[in-house]
Amino acid sequence: MGLEEKLPNGILLTSVEKLVNWTRKSSLWPATFGLACCAIEMMTTGGPRYDLARFGMEVFRASPRQADLMIVAGRVTNKMAPVLRQIYDQMPEPRWVLAMGVCASTGGMFNNYAVVQGVDHVVPVDMYLPGCPPRPEMLIDAILKIHAKIMDEPLGAARAAALLESGASTDLMPSSERFAKKK
Amino acid sequence: MTLAPEKSEVEVPEGHVKLVIDGFEVVAPKGELLIRTAERLGIVVPRFCDHPLLEPAGACRQCLVEVEMGGRPMPKPQASCTMTVADGMVVKTQLTSPVADKAQQGVMELLLINHPLDCPICDKGGECPLQNQALKHGRSDSRFHEHKRTFPKPLPISTQVLLDRERCVLCQRCTRFSAQIAGDPFIELLERGSQQQIGVAEGKPFQSYFSGNTIQICPVGALTSAAYRFRARPFDLISTPSVCEHCSSGCAERTDWRRGKVQRKLAGDDPEVNEEWICDKGRFAFRYATAGDRFTRPLVRDAESGELRETSWTEALQVAATGLAAARDAKGVGVLTGGRLTVEDAYAYAKFARVALKTNDVDFRARAHSAEELEFLTSTVLGTTPDNGGVTFTAIEAAPAVLCVAFEPEEEAPIVFLRLRKAARKKTKVFHLGQYTSPAVEKTFGTLLACVPGGEPAALNALEEHAADVTEALRGSGSVILVGERAAEVPGLFSAVARLAASTGAKVAWIPRRAGERGALEVGAVPNLLPGGRLVSDAAARSEVENAWGLVAGTLPTRAGRDTNGILVAAASGALDALVVAGVDPFDLPDPGLAQRALEFAGFVVSLELRPSAATAHADVVLPIAPAVEKSGSYLNWEGRRRDFGTTLEGTGALPDCRVLDTLAVEMDADLFTQTPAAAAADLDRLGSNVAEASAPTVSAPLLVQPTAGQAVLATWRRMLDNGSLQDEEPNLAGTARPVVAKVSAATAVHLGLDLGADITVSTERGSVTLPVEVADLPDGVVWLPGNSGPVTVRRNLVAGHGSLVAVAVSDGPSAEKSASDRGGNA
Amino acid sequence: MGMFDPIKGFGVTFSTMFKKVVTEEYPEVKKVTAPRFHGRHQLNRHPDGLEKCVGCELCAWACPADAIFVEGGDNTDDARYSPGERFGADYQINYLRCIGCGLCIEACPTRSLTMTNEYELADDDRQKLIFTKEDLLAPLLPGMEQPPHPMRLGDNEQDYYVNGPALARDLLAGSSQGQSNAESAVKGAGK
Repeated sequence: MGLEEKLPNGILLTSVEKLVNWTRKSSLWPATFGLACCAIEMMTTGGPRYDLARFGMEVFRASPRQADLMIVAGRVTNKMAPVLRQIYDQMPEPRWVLAMGVCASTGGMFNNYAVVQGVDHVVPVDMYLPGCPPRPEMLIDAILKIHAKIMDEPLGAARAAALLESGASTDLMPSSERFAKKK
Repeated sequence: MTLAPEKSEVEVPEGHVKLVIDGFEVVAPKGELLIRTAERLGIVVPRFCDHPLLEPAGACRQCLVEVEMGGRPMPKPQASCTMTVADGMVVKTQLTSPVADKAQQGVMELLLINHPLDCPICDKGGECPLQNQALKHGRSDSRFHEHKRTFPKPLPISTQVLLDRERCVLCQRCTRFSAQIAGDPFIELLERGSQQQIGVAEGKPFQSYFSGNTIQICPVGALTSAAYRFRARPFDLISTPSVCEHCSSGCAERTDWRRGKVQRKLAGDDPEVNEEWICDKGRFAFRYATAGDRFTRPLVRDAESGELRETSWTEALQVAATGLAAARDAKGVGVLTGGRLTVEDAYAYAKFARVALKTNDVDFRARAHSAEELEFLTSTVLGTTPDNGGVTFTAIEAAPAVLCVAFEPEEEAPIVFLRLRKAARKKTKVFHLGQYTSPAVEKTFGTLLACVPGGEPAALNALEEHAADVTEALRGSGSVILVGERAAEVPGLFSAVARLAASTGAKVAWIPRRAGERGALEVGAVPNLLPGGRLVSDAAARSEVENAWGLVAGTLPTRAGRDTNGILVAAASGALDALVVAGVDPFDLPDPGLAQRALEFAGFVVSLELRPSAATAHADVVLPIAPAVEKSGSYLNWEGRRRDFGTTLEGTGALPDCRVLDTLAVEMDADLFTQTPAAAAADLDRLGSNVAEASAPTVSAPLLVQPTAGQAVLATWRRMLDNGSLQDEEPNLAGTARPVVAKVSAATAVHLGLDLGADITVSTERGSVTLPVEVADLPDGVVWLPGNSGPVTVRRNLVAGHGSLVAVAVSDGPSAEKSASDRGGNA
Repeated sequence: MGMFDPIKGFGVTFSTMFKKVVTEEYPEVKKVTAPRFHGRHQLNRHPDGLEKCVGCELCAWACPADAIFVEGGDNTDDARYSPGERFGADYQINYLRCIGCGLCIEACPTRSLTMTNEYELADDDRQKLIFTKEDLLAPLLPGMEQPPHPMRLGDNEQDYYVNGPALARDLLAGSSQGQSNAESAVKGAGK
């Protein structure tokens, strides 16, 4: 990213990492990548009823240059795969990919010659979301789990190595539990 | 067939009749069953009991059709599986006759009265004729609401066949198969009326080598396999046609597998070879390939620790190539291939020996063998195929007389036994030159020509004088003499067989016990032959091979090599520096000690193996190879018929022998062109065959050694189900093996002072075997032992063979083996 | 163009402020789905804790996405997991293939497989989204016992399938009156 790459080992404070991660997760802008039925649910999620704006994500960007998160919503055909990869390549780092629905995750019921059997053949996927299609709550759940992962993201190579060594991984608890109202 | 025109123009040949089925005019041979005639027209009449290879029974009544004879309808619908065609018959099946349809629905309703609704847990569910036909020809509901009849289930009728009497529709396919085809009535109809049920025949042991076929022909889920129980569903299995890798019959099989694992094997349909039957070994013995101790990575013996360690293919091949090249340039390398290779793999060994190792020291015979045998094979067996007049299964069936010489058909080639029995049930006279009336002799309605082990040549030579009826029968056109692997243990027997064949005009077939032996012979994995039946000693043949292989003229070694025994003696005495060993078990050989010494003292041993063996214990390099299901190739069965099969389990990464040898040869700067089985087969085809003329052996039999007091002559051969390593990991199959007992004649038993049920100790100076004893009609002074059954075996512990002189005594006390053999007997 | 047209839009915005908010409060308040919602599967148990699944693979057969893998096993007297001869030894559902169509539920002959309303399944590990039998089995309710154990409700599977609930009530009540209940139930079924 810049600064943190150049710092010598062990100089950064964890609170800075938290701050950076917080800024990143609080305005995660998705690139539109609606491919099939899942896209309808994705659009619904952006609408007033589910209001993705609550999580700072209301702006679906048509330009990959301004997006951080690619929601692959629908089955990816072999013909679409290079396009998908190109758009992914055009997104600035750091970037995340959410495979929405079983078709994007594994090809789902389309186990045939035309459909990519999982978008992770083409791009690295950070979150798999089952469902056919997943309801908006499920998408929000997946997005919130991505947020949790972003919050745990290490800043700089030294931190990444330390994290790898400790073997810690983000606890992906269901969002309704994580955000349940305190009683 | 077309719609019958008003004026019939159909020509009726001699011996045929004309009838009408569902409005179609059809000509059928006299005596054909209605159900088959309909089938030829494409009209399927539902049936359960009918089977084309079994006699008609009319047990299930599902195939009712309406029949009109001479313009008069028969009063009731008739069973089309028992009624033969007649001239002028008018038949209406369920397709055109409401009466037949209603009758079939009624029968189905009756069959289902007591049939449980356990299709979800039944192994037959998904491939069940009853299920299918109930959907097609049954009522949608039943009018019978009473409690269904129940039986305790499942009832194990042997360790591998389970019976569920609730599901049975009493079609009697299984009982008819047992009685007519296998001749082991181990399963029978019991009781009467509504309590009628299938059960185990009283007082009869469950031992049948063919019981698995009853599972396959059962039209409901009444007979199921213990090994396959609840393993998978037919709709989730992938079926691949394959060929059995066990005996030399080369049966067509269907291998069902899922998730990279074979779940079961079924008989394939090949009327020329196995019809629709296979033996239990072919059906149930396949888990050796998934045994936990199978090699997956190449191993190299560590110079420091002396232990085998896993390594890469690159390193293993390099070590093997360096070692073999050094040995080749010093005293030489011997190649022992074992008898279980495919044609392509055997060819790769034969070529590897000649091209990369520059030797003729290659032999496939991992068993007792002799120079006489090789002479006989070269003169009589080599190059015979069904196409050039060789003996075939169908020739056996049509033969007026068959003489089995030193051949135990049921134990050594079960499908040959089934054909013999089928032939004998018709008109063929079967003679067995053996030692006692074995079950196979009884079931082929055969005549035993008993002789002392070793006395077979004399018996054959004196056949004209003592049993003129046999020679008379053998003079009949198409008669057959079958010789088994045991003949190699009797000096002079092959010569006597050749003489008898020449004098009677009977055809001779050699039936080895292992699947790969015939193929290995044809592709030159023997010391005196090059691929395609060419003699090593023939300069023209050598140059032909050199040309085809692209070698410089004169590179092929000119002298015939050593046979297995010669190779082992040479290796043990240091006359050979290295051995290449594939699938050879020292305890199959006449002298296991020699084989052990040879493996130990040979400077360098390369073993191509599936699982740990005596060879890998001494090997410097172990190269893992693919089992039959993981490679393609072909076997040459005893007829000389090529039995091609494809890869069943793809992508396991296991390599066939021919590929490993090809790469190894490349490391040694030689090209075999056997990268794949297909490439090897193509290379072999390019070479073609050019079978050498040779004369039959004329070895005279040595004088028989007479047993002195306390001695006997040993008769022995292997059982179908024994300690063979291809039957490992199959407890259910092992449970149906025949009891491990010794056999003596009644007079010998009295002479020895044996009580019934006492144990007998058979010993040589190398060891002893103690077994329970049974009385059989053996010649006096002969003791019979199973070849490789039980914990103590003839080769391993006695180091003796067929015709050896052994000491016999009543056992002193209860033996350690007794409990083990009892277990084998009860299971 | 009227005089108020430019600010008409503000009117709409202003008036909406007094309307009920339609936005779902999802992560804070968990959305309760319709009962028929096709969520995660569950493998049910008989009232004594034995599994209902008999490993028949009909669900796997029905599955259009090939998401289910089942392998049957043989119940023995020492290790009994379900009434009857057969049980599901291995049961896996790949949620990255499952389209939630519910055909497996329809195919199940023992009502073993049903669907819950649970939907928060997203994960970053493909392996974790292949649910095995341990993940899918229903929790043990009071009166249930972790298999393997012998049949508690009756002598054979018939008792489980025909009178399971009645026998279970008796098992819980453990009274003599309960016994007669079950007997009458058995008689009723026999008629």
